[in-house]
Amino acid sequence: MSAGDPLPVREHDRPGPPPARPAFGSFSPAALGLYYRRQFASALAANLAYRGAVAIWVVTSVIQPLVFIVVWRTVAGSGSTGGYSADQFVAYFLVMMVVDHLTFIWHMWEFEYRIRTGAFSPLLLRPVHPIHNDVCENVSYKLVGLVGILPAAVVLAVVFDADLSGTTPAAVLAFLPAVLLAMVLRFVVEWCVALSAFWLTKVSAMNMVFFSLFTFLGGQFAPLSVLPAWMQTVAAWTPFPWTLAFPVEVLLGRRTGGELLLGYGAQLVWVVVALLVLKLLWRRATRRYSAVGA
Amino acid sequence: MADIEVQDLGKTYVVPEREGGVKAALASLARRRTRQVRAVAGVSFAVEQGEVVGFLGPNGAGKTTTLKMLAGLLHPTSGTATVLGHTPWLRDRAYLGRMALVMGNRNQLQWDIPVLDSYRLYQAIFRIGPADFTRRLDELTELLELGDLLRKPVRNLSLGERMKCEIAGSLLHHPAVLFLDEPTIGLDVAMQRRIRSFVAEYNQRTGACVMLTSHYMADVQALCRRVVVIHRGRLLFDGALSALVERFAAHKVITVAFEEGTTVSDEELAALVGGTVTGRTATSVTVQVPRAQTPTAAGRLLATLAVVDLTIEDPPIEGVIEDVFASPAEEVEHERR
Amino acid sequence: MHSLRVLRAFLTVGVLNIVQYRSDFVIALANAGVSLVTQVLGLSVIFTNTADLRGWTADDLLVLIGIHFFISGLVGLVIRPSMEALMEGIRLGTFDFLLTKPADSQLLASSQVVAPQAATDVVVGAGVVAYAVSRTGLTLDASALALFLLTLAAGFTTVYCFLLLLSTMAFWFVKLDNILVIFQALFGNAGRWPVTIFPGWMRPVLTFVVPIAFAVTVPAQALTGQLTLRGALLSVAVAVGFLVASRAFWLVALRRYTGASA
Repeated sequence: MSAGDPLPVREHDRPGPPPARPAFGSFSPAALGLYYRRQFASALAANLAYRGAVAIWVVTSVIQPLVFIVVWRTVAGSGSTGGYSADQFVAYFLVMMVVDHLTFIWHMWEFEYRIRTGAFSPLLLRPVHPIHNDVCENVSYKLVGLVGILPAAVVLAVVFDADLSGTTPAAVLAFLPAVLLAMVLRFVVEWCVALSAFWLTKVSAMNMVFFSLFTFLGGQFAPLSVLPAWMQTVAAWTPFPWTLAFPVEVLLGRRTGGELLLGYGAQLVWVVVALLVLKLLWRRATRRYSAVGA
Repeated sequence: MADIEVQDLGKTYVVPEREGGVKAALASLARRRTRQVRAVAGVSFAVEQGEVVGFLGPNGAGKTTTLKMLAGLLHPTSGTATVLGHTPWLRDRAYLGRMALVMGNRNQLQWDIPVLDSYRLYQAIFRIGPADFTRRLDELTELLELGDLLRKPVRNLSLGERMKCEIAGSLLHHPAVLFLDEPTIGLDVAMQRRIRSFVAEYNQRTGACVMLTSHYMADVQALCRRVVVIHRGRLLFDGALSALVERFAAHKVITVAFEEGTTVSDEELAALVGGTVTGRTATSVTVQVPRAQTPTAAGRLLATLAVVDLTIEDPPIEGVIEDVFASPAEEVEHERR
Repeated sequence: MHSLRVLRAFLTVGVLNIVQYRSDFVIALANAGVSLVTQVLGLSVIFTNTADLRGWTADDLLVLIGIHFFISGLVGLVIRPSMEALMEGIRLGTFDFLLTKPADSQLLASSQVVAPQAATDVVVGAGVVAYAVSRTGLTLDASALALFLLTLAAGFTTVYCFLLLLSTMAFWFVKLDNILVIFQALFGNAGRWPVTIFPGWMRPVLTFVVPIAFAVTVPAQALTGQLTLRGALLSVAVAVGFLVASRAFWLVALRRYTGASA
């Protein structure tokens, strides 16, 4: 190489205006839509490639509802408790299984790995918020998993004599917005919890506390009406019932009319609150990223 | 304004101290001892449009940390930097859409799907128009010979093929600034050469400025006129590569080949040239002399001995760099909380 | 005996790690605490709605929870980390190193990694059992205690063998290294409840095929006065059965593995 002379820069010498740059500053629904299509396709391909592992996860998600069905049927015996008969408990838990599958995320376990190994870096280099990547991963897994979860729910219903009399077509219609809002709400809330990995190096203890709270206050352990009064009061002040118990109750036909609309409203309010918390936390979180691993 | 402007940039990590033994462990239950590690301490430099700058330094010197700060991955603890008019760690989308960071030991492409599908994903991420995308992809495919690689999933590619695809992918959105962190690590010589010439070509065609870190001097020598040397987080040298050798290498190397039958001992040679003998083969001897005395030494050799061939060279750059970096123990600050 | 010495050597190394990883211990303690509180809360919710769960009182169930913690801790201390290492070793080929050592490969594979922080679960479990037993008001004589220890050993053995069976499948299905989460889900959910609450048609499965609940229920029955001689003998028989089956399966897998790579 010869010393001294600057390198010839050809493109800049070309006459005419410079090539247009995409306007990243403005939000473009079309651009985000295209991203979602392509990222989702990629995530779906990955989940289908690892379907053995997906199958195992699906099997494990059937076990807890199955055990709770057995426990609460035993408690209810031939009568009922908290407004649920034995067969109604069965219906509750199998619907809960489906709703839980549709709403859960696992990223609070993954973030510890991502931060420790610097796997976050490629995501942070993109002019797209990393949450969109996680949404695609998550939704594609749920779609593939439904192939196992739905038949499992049917089997449980048949084997344990579920009482699904409340599940009318109207209930199903009302269920759709409830479960969609629940999906969004739970995703945002748990993604915020996942962000704690930026501050704590070991998140397992905190995750366990969170899941414990969730199991009770979200109605996974038992329908909320069965819980002691003080627990129900605490639950009312958290977003948890709105991510799980509420959509389940809607599908079982236990929430109608005014209660239903109030429920939607509560979900919407919590979604807004959660998004605000997310925005705040994310800004702080990126400051703490140590980008190790290279 | 320069494309990259760095002023007093610093990054300090707080690291918990490891104790050994039962007693220390019990003591640490009461008080947490931490240590501050200064990865980067007050670095300043500027890179103009179209420059290719080599970033040199031993492991842990702070070069990767600096690159990551300029790429927006890390927040500095002190100082400022501006790249293309943006503050990198604010991570505004307009900036991320104009720069690229390629890390030699990390995959950014999707692992299980064909490379082309990863590229289409990048098209969506970086909002590349269809016409631009096709044109650039064709260019990159031709320059890097990606032809049959595009349809394969990344996990089926060899390390060299993967690196080619990574680099091509990072240029699809036509970044104006390119950060390369050890791009040729682990690759065979032929692939290293190909990637070097490709980076040089990209720089020439687009005027993008390039900052490159590498352990391979061949990368730096082939691509960079200018080098920035970092050691223990501080800037040690910023200037032309040739000037680096001159400043830090205090001597030159003379290789002499003698006529058949000539014998001369090491001591005699050393005394003659005023330096030291550093190597001897069946046919030649290598001596090291202080830089200033090189002409005199060469003259004496030619005059006194039956010389068949004589070469004067700078010492190998690796050696120079190694000497530069061999310094006393690192300063570390202990802090008790 | 040589095998016992090997075992002791491995466990000593593990114990020496205790001081090094004290933060892991703190976290393990916190996790155990959270888990215990969750389960006790669950019990309290159930018992506001009913007086007993098919013959099991709240204190009886607490005994069962304690035994679950105890066995869980023992498994998490050595067995599970070793099984995870085994499956990784099969996948990466480092399992061969175990085969070259002059000791039984199953013993080595089952004790190769120790996670000392799981000892907190063992301690918590023992504590909960002691507390719950004192609350039940039952007096336990020497023979009852002996029966308890026998069934506890049988229970632990059964769980170990079940885990080994699952992990041995890695010799055939190399990519399914998350198969142990099935064990976690089964043991962590079904294992916390007495097998007697399950419907009649499920009980044989939970006793002979996936005997996890059974393994925890029987020792609990020994301490709560519900154990029949038949039950005790059955638990020992199941343990022996699984011991034989898992050992046979291990040997079959080994023969195939060494045959294939020879």
